[in-house]
Amino acid sequence: MTMTFLPMLSMLIGVPVVGALIIAFVPNIHWAKKIALMTAFFELLIAIMLVFSFDRSNASFQFIEQYAWIPSLNAEFFLGVDGISILFFPMTALLMFVTIIASWSNIQHLTRLHFALLLLLESATMGVFSALDMLLFFLFWEATLPPIFFLIGLWGIGAKRSQAALKYTLFMLCGGVPLLFAIILLAVNHANQFGESMTAGLSFSFPVLLNTPMTDHLQIVILLLFVLGFAVKTPLVPFHTWLPTIAMESPTQLSALLMGLKLGAFGLLRFAFPLAPSAAGHYAWLLALFGAITLIYGALIALKQTNLRQLLAYLSISHVGFVTMGIASLTLQSIQGALFQLLNFTAIASSLMLIAGFLQQRIGSTEWVHLGGLAKVVPRLCVFFYLFSFASIGIPLTSGFPAEILLIIGVFKHQFGLGIVGLLGAIFGAAALFMLIQKTFLGEVRHSSNLQLVDLRAHELWVLCIPFIFVLFFGLWPQFLLDISQGSLTLWLNRLVDLPLTLSFTS
Amino acid sequence: MENFIVLIPLFPLLAAICIGSLQLFSVIEGEGSERFTARVANYAVGLSCLIALLLLCQDFWFGNNAVLTLGSWLSVDDLVIKLSFFTHGFSLKLAVIFALLLCVVTRFSVNYLHREAGFHRFFFVLSLFAFAMFMLVLSANALGTFMGWEIAGLCSYLLIGYLYNSQNATHNAMRVFITNRIGDAGFIAGLVLCYLWLGNINWLDIPVFIHQLSAQKLNLIALCFVIAAMVKSAQFPFTPWLARAMEGPTPSSAIFYGAIMIHSGVYLLFLIRPLLELTPLIAGFVAVIGLLTAFYAYFVGLAQTDIKTSLIFATSGQLGLLFLECGLGFWELATWHLCAHIIVRAYQLLTAPSLLHNIQSTSIQNAPALFATNRRFYTYATQRFWLEPITDWLIVKPVMNLASDLNYVDKQIMDPLMGSPAPTIHAISSLAQAQERNIGAHLDSTEDTFAQGSGLAGKLTQWTASILHWFEYHFILHGASDNVFHYGRRLGHIANQTELTLLKPRYLVTFIFITLLVAM
Repeated sequence: MTMTFLPMLSMLIGVPVVGALIIAFVPNIHWAKKIALMTAFFELLIAIMLVFSFDRSNASFQFIEQYAWIPSLNAEFFLGVDGISILFFPMTALLMFVTIIASWSNIQHLTRLHFALLLLLESATMGVFSALDMLLFFLFWEATLPPIFFLIGLWGIGAKRSQAALKYTLFMLCGGVPLLFAIILLAVNHANQFGESMTAGLSFSFPVLLNTPMTDHLQIVILLLFVLGFAVKTPLVPFHTWLPTIAMESPTQLSALLMGLKLGAFGLLRFAFPLAPSAAGHYAWLLALFGAITLIYGALIALKQTNLRQLLAYLSISHVGFVTMGIASLTLQSIQGALFQLLNFTAIASSLMLIAGFLQQRIGSTEWVHLGGLAKVVPRLCVFFYLFSFASIGIPLTSGFPAEILLIIGVFKHQFGLGIVGLLGAIFGAAALFMLIQKTFLGEVRHSSNLQLVDLRAHELWVLCIPFIFVLFFGLWPQFLLDISQGSLTLWLNRLVDLPLTLSFTS
Repeated sequence: MENFIVLIPLFPLLAAICIGSLQLFSVIEGEGSERFTARVANYAVGLSCLIALLLLCQDFWFGNNAVLTLGSWLSVDDLVIKLSFFTHGFSLKLAVIFALLLCVVTRFSVNYLHREAGFHRFFFVLSLFAFAMFMLVLSANALGTFMGWEIAGLCSYLLIGYLYNSQNATHNAMRVFITNRIGDAGFIAGLVLCYLWLGNINWLDIPVFIHQLSAQKLNLIALCFVIAAMVKSAQFPFTPWLARAMEGPTPSSAIFYGAIMIHSGVYLLFLIRPLLELTPLIAGFVAVIGLLTAFYAYFVGLAQTDIKTSLIFATSGQLGLLFLECGLGFWELATWHLCAHIIVRAYQLLTAPSLLHNIQSTSIQNAPALFATNRRFYTYATQRFWLEPITDWLIVKPVMNLASDLNYVDKQIMDPLMGSPAPTIHAISSLAQAQERNIGAHLDSTEDTFAQGSGLAGKLTQWTASILHWFEYHFILHGASDNVFHYGRRLGHIANQTELTLLKPRYLVTFIFITLLVAM
């Protein structure tokens, strides 16, 4: 564990907050927007710098920042990254940058508040990825909710936007309860194990808790609570019902953001499995089963959707099911694939949703009956939709391909039947996506009012080009990403596999 | 010199990227830049062809190493995938034939597509396809072959849907793509099993390790690859996709379904030849499928009146024969047959439009004698033995029905069960309402309000009470008269319906499938 001189992680959390504050006091609205964009860009630069100053050979936490926060509870302001979380920073910063450009001109009222909320959301998200103190993590986790609540409620495009905002918040609050329970149980267990008094022995530090011994029964409870909490956010069936609602009601750039940020799956990978290692080894198959159900369930329902945005939501659910299967398979290939796929979807799922948003903005609907034959009218938009669809079904040369191959290999290695389910899901998912393309973009132009549509504008083109370059680059050179996370994931896996209790997981 | 083999797939890829990105940003557009696009595509394929020929000559006189291995592309744990290419033998020869044909077809398309709206798009896809085919044929490991395999399938999708304004063409393209996806799944399964059981996915290393495996595992690996080959080469149950693929422009039909891509299934059989030689069961399966396809394509082909479809059924028949030869172990014969068929069929399909033009006035031939005497047979042939409706009925329809059932469950049951928040629906809109609520008068509620509970226990009590109330109201208060029978019958009907639904094939199959998966 090394200390660095520049507090990069605090900067990542702090810069957007400062940006948001400045926006509040700038009189000119155009300047406010520009400041928001510049803040996001600056944030992106810091995040990229972070990746390049990251030491790949070191598998433990780096860029540690540790200060006392609530001394009476032994809670600390404790930040750090390792190979698992490091790549989420640039991807989140990129996503936010793109989101800000995408909402540049279509936010007409309360513009200042909108951009300030986006920046606050970015700050909280960065906090979630970097927090190593469990209480701090929980704080950031819940701090993502208020900005999202207002973003959906105030700028939503559906008629039931306030209801959707409430639905989202309630779902997430319910998910938060088991998390908090788990965190408290962990801290109390630490005190009990070392036989100290309740307040003095408490510990919320993630690295300390990793090495705290725990009884098997307690591990099972902890794992269950964590999985329950993260499953809501991920989302896994049956906790997924908020996502289609959000996709329909919230502003499209925000649903792109929510689909891109895979906080739930990150939580499973980061906290749920390592903190309850022997229970995870024993009961991972249960989570894999839920992942498999989610994969097939989402893909099948996607086959029957008539609205582009809703369909994308179900496809995103299906993909996340596959990722969950990968994490729960506990092989190095599958978790590498899962992590890679999570990063991919930050770029791919959100770009697809953004394109749907561009259509919504032009036509006022993404229902199939109002679309049809759009390839003739908006060729460039159609091309980008195609490109990201290819990436999402894992066509070679895009980054979806190595990720999917790794996932499938890992899952097959874990259990044969699950691998077959994965392949089936891939077929259904492709079918749903291509039926969607067929009905949206191909064929005759069905409505004469659609003939005057404007193709992608310059800023929209940029918004799509940036993620696409990412997709292409890591499709050709996946090892760049894999090398960064290799060390930490090997360590992660060894913690789970080396335990004597977990011999039963290989088939 | 052998290192140059990398350039063979690389040139067309660069051409594709160049044409694609320039057109995306409207640098090349319309008729003015046709010459530029044509040049880029022609030069790229031409150069690849030249290098392939040079390598072949070198192999002929001096002899190359079997495989050229470059750095690793992906390595995780013990899975290491290297970029490796065949520089010797059948693969190189096939690559030369493909390269020559690609050259010819690219040149042919320059005139054929002159002033077409999608000129640049066509050459983009053609170059990408050339890359894919070179990758497929030359790659010495299964993953590289698969990359080519899948991109070739994608290119075929893009060219079948070339006329993107036509509902028919694009629908066919989608069907073809999804059918191909099934084959891709088979390929991936084979590849993964190879890695898991043999620890290796290099084509040349597979024969070294397979002797350690049990017959059952060998059969499974071979079966996966054979399914992939069957789909790609349009063998028996998958034949109908080939006829759907005829929507694209003629040069693309020639190159995809006449000459090149359709043969990649047979090429895959060549690659897994050592596997097939150890698994007589699967080899026999390949032979039977080949024979079935040959007969099927022959009879259906007899009834076709359109030149392109009759040619395509002839192709399908020949491919069936190729499968038969491979299945029976006549590899030498299959090699010659394959090369000859590629060349002849490419020529036939390329000349088809001009042939059609020349014989415009002459009437088509009479039906063959077989059909003249047996009318039922004629119906079978024109309906193509209802192969596509049958697969639709067996696979597509149950899946879609399952999907709509699940959709219903999700919208009507899952969503309300997980709770969409009531507060906004039952929000208090006036002070009067708030006061009503305070004194416990639920005037706006539709529920029976004499038992209003809160919390889990309270709600449970409330529901039990209301169910009992319903029961009492309908059965006891209304007396044991007609109503008992009426409601009893309705309950029975619902029970019957539930059982019938559960016994529907799609659910039965799903249950069986789940059981099997769990058992595995």
